[in-house]
Formats: sequence, C-alpha cells, structure tokens
Amino acid sequence: MKNRVQSILLVVCGVAMAGLLSADLKKGYYSPAELGSLWQAKPVEHLPDSNYQVSEYPVPPVDLTRGDGLQDVQIYCNTCHSPRYITMQPPLPAATWEAEVNKMNKTFGAAIPEEDAQKIIRYLQAHYTPETRKQ
Amino acid sequence: MNATKPCPSRRGLLKILGAASGGLAVSRWLGLDLALGQDEAPGKAVETFTGPGPNAHWNSVGPYVTEPQKVPLLLLTDRPVQLETPRHYFRTAFTPNEAFYVRWHLEGIPNAVDLKNWKLQIEGNVNKPLAFSLLELMQKFKPVSLAAVNQCSGNSRSRLQPRVPGGQWGNGAMGNAMWTGVRLRELLDIAGIKKGSLQVQFQGLETGHGPQGLGSSIFLKSLDIGNPVLGECVVAYLMNGEPLPMLNGFPVRLVVPGYFATYWTKCLTWIRVLAASDENFWMKTGYRVPDTARGNTTPEDVKQGKVKTVPIGRLPVRSFLISPDGSCKIPAGMTVTLQGIAFSGFGRVERVEVSDDQGKSWMGTRLGDDYGAYSFRTWEGSWTPKSPGRYSLAVRATDEKNNTQSDEAVWNPGGYLWNRIERQEVVVGNAS
Repeated sequence: MKNRVQSILLVVCGVAMAGLLSADLKKGYYSPAELGSLWQAKPVEHLPDSNYQVSEYPVPPVDLTRGDGLQDVQIYCNTCHSPRYITMQPPLPAATWEAEVNKMNKTFGAAIPEEDAQKIIRYLQAHYTPETRKQ
Repeated sequence: MNATKPCPSRRGLLKILGAASGGLAVSRWLGLDLALGQDEAPGKAVETFTGPGPNAHWNSVGPYVTEPQKVPLLLLTDRPVQLETPRHYFRTAFTPNEAFYVRWHLEGIPNAVDLKNWKLQIEGNVNKPLAFSLLELMQKFKPVSLAAVNQCSGNSRSRLQPRVPGGQWGNGAMGNAMWTGVRLRELLDIAGIKKGSLQVQFQGLETGHGPQGLGSSIFLKSLDIGNPVLGECVVAYLMNGEPLPMLNGFPVRLVVPGYFATYWTKCLTWIRVLAASDENFWMKTGYRVPDTARGNTTPEDVKQGKVKTVPIGRLPVRSFLISPDGSCKIPAGMTVTLQGIAFSGFGRVERVEVSDDQGKSWMGTRLGDDYGAYSFRTWEGSWTPKSPGRYSLAVRATDEKNNTQSDEAVWNPGGYLWNRIERQEVVVGNAS
C-alpha cells in the first residue's frame, strides 16, 4: 500500500516536473518564411573535347526603388553592369552619387546624354542617400 | 542576435494550427503559402544593406547565390560576378575552390575556354615573342607549388567610416590555396626581356562594353621590372590540386605572393613587357593608396588634393577569429576552443594573441601547420569565461618583420588596406 502511494506520488511529481521543463523548452517552432531556400543548379554535361564550359551566370532580380528616373537607370547603368551595383552600396551622400555618375561618363566613357545623367543622379539622390534610403 | 526573442505572432487559423504543430508544415498542406509570410519574413532577414555606419557583421549582407562550380556564396554583384566567402570556410588553412571568393571588374567574362585555340602569349619588348598551350605549360616546365593568400584590395571595405563607394565586402574577400604552375621568371627568361624595359603587364580574358582602351573595356595590371616579386610569381594551372574554377581564372592565373589580388590576373592570356610605364586606368587611377603609414588619410586631405598616391602593394598583417562566431551562447565555466587564421604579405606570422578585456591583457595562442610565409596560418587557443556577461574577444597578429595590427581604423577613398584588430562579441550565459 505504502509502495503504491509512493509510486503514484512519483508519477505525479514526474508529470509536474515535465510541465516545468516544457515551459522552458521551446521546441518545434517553424516559420513560413522562404528565407534561405534555393534550388540546386543542374550539373553541366561535359564532352571529352578541348572546350571547357560552365553554365550561364545567374542574374537574380534587383529590387530598385520605384520613382522618376528608374527607366534611365535601367537603360544606361545596365549597359555595363547590373544595377545591383546601386543597391549593394551603403547610403551615400548626394554629392557622392553625382560624382559616381559623372565618373561613368567622364572616366569610363558611358556616353549618357547630360539630361539623362542628371535624371539618374536625381533618382539616386532621391532614394539612396542616408536621408532617403529605406530598408 | 534574437535567440531569446519570442516567436512572432500569427493570425487567425494559422495561429491555432501553428501553435500545435508548426506553421510551415501545416500551411504547406493547406496550400496557404501565399496567404502567409509577406509581412513577417522581412523582420527575420538580415538587413538588405548596411550604412551609413560600419557594417557590424563579419560578412557582407547580400543574399546567397549559387554560381557555376561554386557552393552558395554571398552575392555582392551578379554582372560582373562578385561573391564573398562565408566566415565558416576559414576554419582551415586552405580555402576550398568551390567556396573561394570571386571578383571581376568587367562583365565580359568567359563561360567557356577552348584549349585548342587558347595560348598564353609573351610579347612586347622581348627578343622572342612566344606562345604556349596549356599542354606545353604543363609539360615543358617543371611545376612549382606555393601556398599563397589571395585577398581583394577592398576586403572589409564596409568597415570604413565614412563609408566609401565600391564593393561592400565584409571580411570574406580572401582565400588561401596551394597554387601549382610555371614560374613567371622562366617564361620571361626564355622570351628574353630587352634592355630598357620598365614593366611587365598582364591581361586576361575579361572585357567590357566601354570605349576601346578605357578602363571600362579592358583590365590591365603591371609590375615593375625591378620588383623582386616577379621572381616569386607563378602562372598557376592548379588550385588546391584541381583545375581553377572558371570564376577564379581558368585555365591559368597569375599568382603574386604577398600582393593584393588586383595583380593576380585571372584567365591570364597576355604577358606583355613594356618599354614605358603603364598609364592605363587600373594602374594610374584605380587601386592606388595614399603614400602614408597604413595608407591612411582623411576626406578633408583628399578634397584639398594633398594626398600623394602609389599603386597598392603587399598585404598588411591581419588575423581573424573564426570560431566562436557569436551565433551561440557559451555557458559560463565551459572551456571552448578559439580558432582562426592569420597572414601577412610582409613575412611569416610569428604570433597571434587574443584579449577578452578590451586589450588590457593578451593571451598567446598555438599556431597551426606552417605552409610558408604567404599562406594562411591557423591558430588555436582555449578560453574559459568564468561568469555570465557580454565579452568582446579581440585578436591580433604579428609577423616576423614585427609588423603588428593596430586598433586604429584605416580610411582612404578607395576603401583599401583595412587591417584593424578584429573583435567578436560573445554572450556567456549561466550554466545552472
């Protein structure tokens, strides 16, 4: 009889302890976010010849802020490089953006007509300075 | 960072379902993916950019992307390709090829090279211009192997204050490999450098859309004829015992031991001896650093045109803590292993020290295997935090020329030469 009471007590205590523990253990929480997921690339089929080939380099979409001048950015900047060069930058002062666009024309020979270059500068200043850029 | 932050709230049906057995699985069964998410996901992603303050993360904050012959790496730009190596790949002295960072300047980079047509050409101010196929490079010359760190000039650029434009690298624009190939000196000797030559210029297969001759159409780098490093350079066709990944410069790449990667021309195809100094953009304007201690200057001095510059050169001494990386708490009283890497372009790393008290005292560490003066050197130590709290672990290296890391920041307009003492915050919790 005494043994039986003890074992019941033990079971009751055990359940109580488990309750305490589970209050501390957060388990099995899953999030619906798609973060971090990606598809595997298909392996390249090689031929035993002298040509050494890899598949094309992926160009993921770039999330540029909508606004006046975006079309000019997409036309002119895209000629030589992906506009990800813009979104990768930290927020830059207005004068720095102006200097960057001027560098593309003067140093790198981008030949963006002056009017369009000004539109690109205004776009970058409107969305990518410390005052204007948003996460 | 938010390990103890409670789970974000959910709504309606999902709140009930999710509480029982996990929102993702349940929502998938019900086909509710689209109804979910959008407003919750951004809170959990790392920020999409850093600044105007310094990037507080070890790596850059770009998304992961899988490029040909690579594991998922951190994307800086996709056209041309710039990829950063995540921190944990630096646990070992040699960086795996598939995780090795990538940095191109111009968008025209090869997807394919036909070795039937490709030849390495040695031309310009030489007695006998030459061209070698890959087979000839492998068979006619005795192969040499050398471990050397390849670090981008702008590695850690995202630390600078004020921030400067350019590739916003964290610390992962570096890697170490065992490079095998032909000594550059042998190739130059066979061709015969004519008297009065000033520089040797290197050109690879990358091209851009800019007008001919400008920096936007061609990438050219040169080294002075009298620079002793020419005697150490290797034209490498093997990287860690494998052909080079296309993105790292297949079929051959120039290895310039101890120097920044800008000189390590990928897909090297033309070696050109010059009778005049190289005036192209990538020598005269790009990749130049102030001719001052540690390449330091100020925005004010730059504005006033006071800064004399020189082409970037050797790698200043650096060291990194790779583990612990702050992703987990450490229970007080537990002895954990500190591990990392160190290197210097000026000589063998002789000492790596760690501090957990803001640099008041420094504790020595054990250095790993020695693969030569230009390699990563791994290091290891033990650390037992006695009480809970927030600790800052600092690490500094010293090389055989007694160059050591400083705790002062570096600033120059190109965002080069960062080598300040690195720190890692570690949270220590109660063990009972």
